[in-house]
Amino acid sequence: MIWHITKREIYDNLNSLRFALTTVLLLALMVTNAVRHLREHPKQVQRYRDAVAESLNQLTTHAEESLYKLAQYGPGNFYKKPSPLHFCANGSEPILPDTIKVDDPIVFGTVGSSDSYEETVVLHGIWTLSYPDANLQNKDVGPDVSQVDWGFIIGYVLSLLALLFTFDALSGEREHGTLRLMLANSIPRHTVLIGKFLGALFSISIPFTLAVLVNLLLISTSSEVHLTTEAWGRLGIIFCLALLYTSLFLALGLLVSARVQRSAVSLMILLLTWVTFVAFMPSTLASIASSFSPAVSFDKYWKQRNPVQEDLWDKYGNRLWSEASDEETLRAKSGFYIDKVDNSERRSEARLRYRSSQVHRARAITSISPATLLQHLIEAFAGTGFERHLQFVENTQRYARQLREFVVDTDRGDPESLHIINVREGMSQKPISPAAVPKFEDTFDLSQDFNTRAMELLLLGLFVVVLLSGAYLAFVRVEV
Amino acid sequence: MLLTLIRRELLDNLMTFRFAAAVFIMLLLVVANTVVLLKDYERRLAAYNTALKTHQDKVQELKAYSGYELNIDRPPNPLSIFNAGLDKRLGNQVRVYHAFVPTLWDAKMHGSDNPFLNIFTSIDIIFIFEVILSLIALLFAYDALAGERERGTLRLVLAQSVRRGHILLAKYISAMLCLLVPLLLSLFLAMILLTNNHSVSLSPDDFLRIGGIVLTSLAYLSVFYFIGMLISEVSRRTSTALMLSMFIWGFLVLVYPNMILAVMSPSRPPRAQVDSAMKQMEQIWEEFDRERKGFLINDPVPGESIWFKIGAVGGSHEHLAKRASALDVHFRTGLNLEEINERSEPQVPHAQNYFRFLEPRVISTAEKTWLLREQGLKNIFVKPASIDRILLKFSPVGIYDSATQAWAGTDLHGIRDFFDAARQHRQRVIDYFYDTKVFGTRQWFAGDKQAVDWNALPQFSFKRSDIGINTERALPDVCLLLLINVILFTVIFLIFVKSEV
Repeated sequence: MIWHITKREIYDNLNSLRFALTTVLLLALMVTNAVRHLREHPKQVQRYRDAVAESLNQLTTHAEESLYKLAQYGPGNFYKKPSPLHFCANGSEPILPDTIKVDDPIVFGTVGSSDSYEETVVLHGIWTLSYPDANLQNKDVGPDVSQVDWGFIIGYVLSLLALLFTFDALSGEREHGTLRLMLANSIPRHTVLIGKFLGALFSISIPFTLAVLVNLLLISTSSEVHLTTEAWGRLGIIFCLALLYTSLFLALGLLVSARVQRSAVSLMILLLTWVTFVAFMPSTLASIASSFSPAVSFDKYWKQRNPVQEDLWDKYGNRLWSEASDEETLRAKSGFYIDKVDNSERRSEARLRYRSSQVHRARAITSISPATLLQHLIEAFAGTGFERHLQFVENTQRYARQLREFVVDTDRGDPESLHIINVREGMSQKPISPAAVPKFEDTFDLSQDFNTRAMELLLLGLFVVVLLSGAYLAFVRVEV
Repeated sequence: MLLTLIRRELLDNLMTFRFAAAVFIMLLLVVANTVVLLKDYERRLAAYNTALKTHQDKVQELKAYSGYELNIDRPPNPLSIFNAGLDKRLGNQVRVYHAFVPTLWDAKMHGSDNPFLNIFTSIDIIFIFEVILSLIALLFAYDALAGERERGTLRLVLAQSVRRGHILLAKYISAMLCLLVPLLLSLFLAMILLTNNHSVSLSPDDFLRIGGIVLTSLAYLSVFYFIGMLISEVSRRTSTALMLSMFIWGFLVLVYPNMILAVMSPSRPPRAQVDSAMKQMEQIWEEFDRERKGFLINDPVPGESIWFKIGAVGGSHEHLAKRASALDVHFRTGLNLEEINERSEPQVPHAQNYFRFLEPRVISTAEKTWLLREQGLKNIFVKPASIDRILLKFSPVGIYDSATQAWAGTDLHGIRDFFDAARQHRQRVIDYFYDTKVFGTRQWFAGDKQAVDWNALPQFSFKRSDIGINTERALPDVCLLLLINVILFTVIFLIFVKSEV
């Protein structure tokens, strides 16, 4: 029986104006999305490849010169690998930095006499990771618009369309009097409700699936973009997410439509709810949440930083300025370099952590809105967005540790070396084969924080269940 | 007769659920967001005040004139609460010194916040109006004609000796009166919040600007009411009219503004153009450098060093700074001495001669490159942005947005006014330097003898453009909105007069 009602609903919808308009709208959006991706993505990948090649080049040059050079200058900048599923969620990519800089050694001290201009460097730093701030778009004077990615198409457009498909599902039939006719037969009310729900879900899935297929067809036929099996799997998950999210709005539509007598009123309520939850709530809540904890100003950061730096200078004392190369001096220098890097990396990481905890708090609070929930989920599966950025940071940190360990281990293998790391006189001067040096590869791993994803997924599912059962209760008790 | 009709329509509309819902949701959203926006404004104002103080203190610390480099700050615009426009996004502090012509693209942000929070979109009051007002207008209009036709009351009304134009007019006037209620009520509450907040100071001009915003909102509202009416007239059945108006709303408000810029090719600056402009500017500076070096070689002190064998504590710098992303090439050279050795006193006049020769040339070269740079920036940044804005104006939302930005002074013009003021300030400082003949003095590069009285220098002040200019900038868009209104009304009238009931 459910199937009959569903079929009737689908036939009804297929001939309607809204079906035609939905198809056109979704197709146009998805084609735009594909075309833009095909235009932008190869450039992005090319930029990434060039940048990575340059870093690798630096690494090779340093390694071929000597182990010491490698220890001093490090691996060159790190770059975030662009996600092939960038078209699913833009993930505020223009704002998030895609580079982690490896700072060149700083020269702290030179010794020279006033007569000659020749100076000898006696103290310098070694390479340090520094985490850049978000890029402020303060050169772009163009208008502010959001990207047309899947997140936008599903989150905003598809949800609105879902409401337009269900606002009159029950109230419309009641107005026409056909609901009375249907219920005069021996059909249980829940069957009607489920039939209606499935009918609406199928009829909105048809144009959406069509649009998605056209989009993917365009993207996958291009020779410049390659989607791996894993990427297809993730696309499948995103598609299912889209259906779940659409179900949420269909259920909401059914709920309101069951309670309200007139379909115009039903649409009014639905649209205002939609506007509040989808269009306004994310940004308003984010603003409120981010003002809970004050931002640490740059001045304060520097003020906290300076005393620790001075302590370091005190700790190692005048030995640092000596030009002598006895073991004690070298050890002092080595200790100073390592402490210095450790210090500055720890401090800038603490700053990043503080900032990201602010962002996390704001993101958690905005999760009340299903639109944000969906956006986070799509970002997670597409491998873009803020979480991905943090993962990139973590990857670089892991690699930095690995490289430093590699330097120590290789140095240990050289019998001529004094094994005092990061000091020229105390380290192996032999060139090393670039092939032996570990290379940085930015990877994206989904399983890492699947717990939060699962929570969000459950929350979204919960919304659907609650709304559907609400619709059922409302419909069962309503008089026809 | 018209009055009777208006009264009837008004009563009809006021008693509906949609009216109550519209008022409720508008008040809720506007009040909640105004509170949030005010907080944000306070934060930006605090950042501005801190920056202002730090920058002023920094100037006082300087010892010699050549180090003069004032960071000037752009205050947040209180009307950015209505339409944030570019006010939050573009840089709000810029360095001003004699050898460099500052622009918007050299500005930085006050670095006291968490920039990662920019991944969340921010909204303003006009955005709420854009979305909700248009939605409500369509919801009021979709059954205006189709509904009466279905119920048959249209026939009854027309059986009386009523002109068709009057019916349309009555419907329009009464609906607009109803729609005014949520608009004005929410704005009124927002204004109460705004005026009671001690950190926001609104000048009388600001109230006129807000008046301009209200007028524009009215025109925008009426455009959407007419669109709804047209749909209602054409589609004859209310359910079709409703469906169609919702699709058109979704398209005009949600889809079009975001899609059109993605469809049109992204406005990247042509590489060759940037390169050639950079090269030209570099050439100008190189020529300057040759002249400079020529002077250094021909002067009595051997060598090209700008220290002139002065034994002193201090620093010097000379370098060509290049930034292709902002189309910027400038040359910085300077000598800043804190203490001069007694023995070196005879050498000091050489340095004085050098700077007397050099600085006027630095200024004129900076201005020569500025002419090139101004043109380049216009081609690379401003033109593509204005093309994007024109594309957006094919939807009434885009026109409304740009008109209200112009009223609020948060559009590109408004921001550039500040940088024009910064350039004027630079000119005043240069004039002061010329008047006091400071380039040839010892104080130009050495701060050991006589402290510079920084308070004697012209002070920077910036006032937002006055209301007349705002009106001038907003007027084209407002007129465009009004024109659309007139066209839509004419079309509806013509169709309605000719249609059968």
